[in-house]
Amino acid sequence: MAEVSLSNVKKDFGAISIIKGIDLEIKDGEFCVFVGPSGCGKSTLLRMIAGLEDISQGALRIGGRDMTKIGPSDRGVAMVFQSYALYPHMTVGENIGFGLRMTGHEKAEIAKRTAAAAKMLQLEPLLERKPGQLSGGQRQRVAIGRAIVRNPEVFLFDEPLSNLDASLRVQMRGEISRLHQDLGATMIYVTHDQVEAMTMADKIVVLSAGRIEQVGSPLELYHRPKNLFVAGFIGSPKMNFIPVDARPHNGGIEVTLPGGATLQLAGTLAAAGKMTLGLRPEHASATGAGDAVLPAKVQLAEHLGSETLFFVSLADGTEIAVKADGLAAERPGDTMQIGFPARACHLFDADGNAVLNGDLTR
Amino acid sequence: MFPTPIQKASGPTRLAYQIALPIALVIWLFPLIGVAVTSLRPASDLAAGNYFGVPSSIAFENYASVFRDSPIGWYILNSFKVTIPTVIGAVGLSCLTGFALAVYGFRANLWVFFAFVAGNFIPFQILMVPVRDLTLKAGLYDSTLGLVLFHVAFQTGFCTLFMRNFIKGMPFALIESARVEGVSEWQIFRHIVLPLMRPAIAALSVLVFTFVWNDYFWATVLVQGQHAMPVTAGLYALNGQWVAAWHLVSAGSIVAALPPVLMFFLMQRHFIAGLTLGATKG
Repeated sequence: MAEVSLSNVKKDFGAISIIKGIDLEIKDGEFCVFVGPSGCGKSTLLRMIAGLEDISQGALRIGGRDMTKIGPSDRGVAMVFQSYALYPHMTVGENIGFGLRMTGHEKAEIAKRTAAAAKMLQLEPLLERKPGQLSGGQRQRVAIGRAIVRNPEVFLFDEPLSNLDASLRVQMRGEISRLHQDLGATMIYVTHDQVEAMTMADKIVVLSAGRIEQVGSPLELYHRPKNLFVAGFIGSPKMNFIPVDARPHNGGIEVTLPGGATLQLAGTLAAAGKMTLGLRPEHASATGAGDAVLPAKVQLAEHLGSETLFFVSLADGTEIAVKADGLAAERPGDTMQIGFPARACHLFDADGNAVLNGDLTR
Repeated sequence: MFPTPIQKASGPTRLAYQIALPIALVIWLFPLIGVAVTSLRPASDLAAGNYFGVPSSIAFENYASVFRDSPIGWYILNSFKVTIPTVIGAVGLSCLTGFALAVYGFRANLWVFFAFVAGNFIPFQILMVPVRDLTLKAGLYDSTLGLVLFHVAFQTGFCTLFMRNFIKGMPFALIESARVEGVSEWQIFRHIVLPLMRPAIAALSVLVFTFVWNDYFWATVLVQGQHAMPVTAGLYALNGQWVAAWHLVSAGSIVAALPPVLMFFLMQRHFIAGLTLGATKG
């Protein structure tokens, strides 16, 4: 059993506070992704779990044992680095077996486990090569092999795919997910790419400026973001934000959209005020189907084949993105009717916290 | 392109270049040519006052007699007995100090590093008297061991600067990755850092070998007797033995200069790397 639990974990570098109090429970066998913009502290948090950075305050437990003051070598974790960190003077086989050799395992045992790891990652024909003779994807697999050969209870990945090209990234994403299913170990994965987070995670932790913004499953974060930050970070292309006036009306909420059209939303609102309406591009209708319809001018059309992405401006100049059919024929300068379905609309108050989530259930 | 390659320069410039270069070369090499020619001059030429003219015959027997009539073989052996342990000692120590300074962020790290660097700026001549007193009191005066210890002490500062910068240039993730794998700090040094330092070790060994072999100052300050005298200082002693035997002293000098020259040609690549390696990170 290797659940990871952090309670009120903090990290300061001198007077600068990087991690400002993190409480988090990661269950045994869970695939947990830390995601956030660069500088949010996600890599630092991972390195604190690995033991490569001291924990200034708070406690870390792995598998029920207090690891706050334990060195990296005794935590029973394995880490895959962004730069792969392969030992350049050793062959692939030696790289994979190095940790075992140094911790006093028997030769036969090392050979057996190296062979098993190599088989799992299709590295068998490369065992005699040096890292310098490998491609990026192969190096990445060696780095993963070096981690799995030790049978760790917790795997840590620090942006492992960011040095790979796009197609290889998709392939390796699948391989890591498969590895997680096969091994059943706890995995913690750091990335700034929300697509990686959405596709791989059981649980996503969205971080910003050293704090947790929200923890949840990918779909939970997609449908029920707690605040503007999470709403804008999860989903691609990102959610549209439209400034609106909202007021309680007939037991529901009435929002006034740019141009004067109104939209009735279910839910309750304490007081009227300026708020932000959120609507994902894929939920806005380019054919004018919805509970409110706004005229908009096309600024830019991106034809992706399977779909068309329109960037349009509303009456007050607010730009929004709308996903439409791949064969949509509108050109820049044309006027479109954009439909706003009420069940997909999110509403955020002046502080950016969600008042209402458009989780498509209403 | 600046400067303009000489092949593309105008006619007069090229002519001036072709005249000036050989002249500069001869002036530059004049002392060396003088020594080389004198080492092949028979004793009778010197007796007759033919110091700078064409030798009357080529006397290879000068070299034979240097070895036969003087303890130069012994001096060369002493030089090796001083140089090789110094190279091993200074390079070995600086691998350790460089690793410590590059990898561990302890509180006084930068100050210790500055101390090593600052040591290089002290003109070592001013330490002559105290160091001689120290060796005398320690019972190391007039021994190769004393010379080795002081050379190691003086070379380690520069070597540490060099090694620390070299290790700083390595990707730190290598060390962190090994730490997470459960590898001890000593094993990290022995199995990861040391193998990757091979180019630096080779470069530094060649440099230190040349420095120490060519040292004259400490050899004369810390050694008096023939039993421990390195060849640089030994040549000076030859001078006393044969006041006017310049042909033999010259032959001895050429012999003494051979090991570093050989070392340079064999390891030229490392030597040049050594001059620039420490200068930049990585």
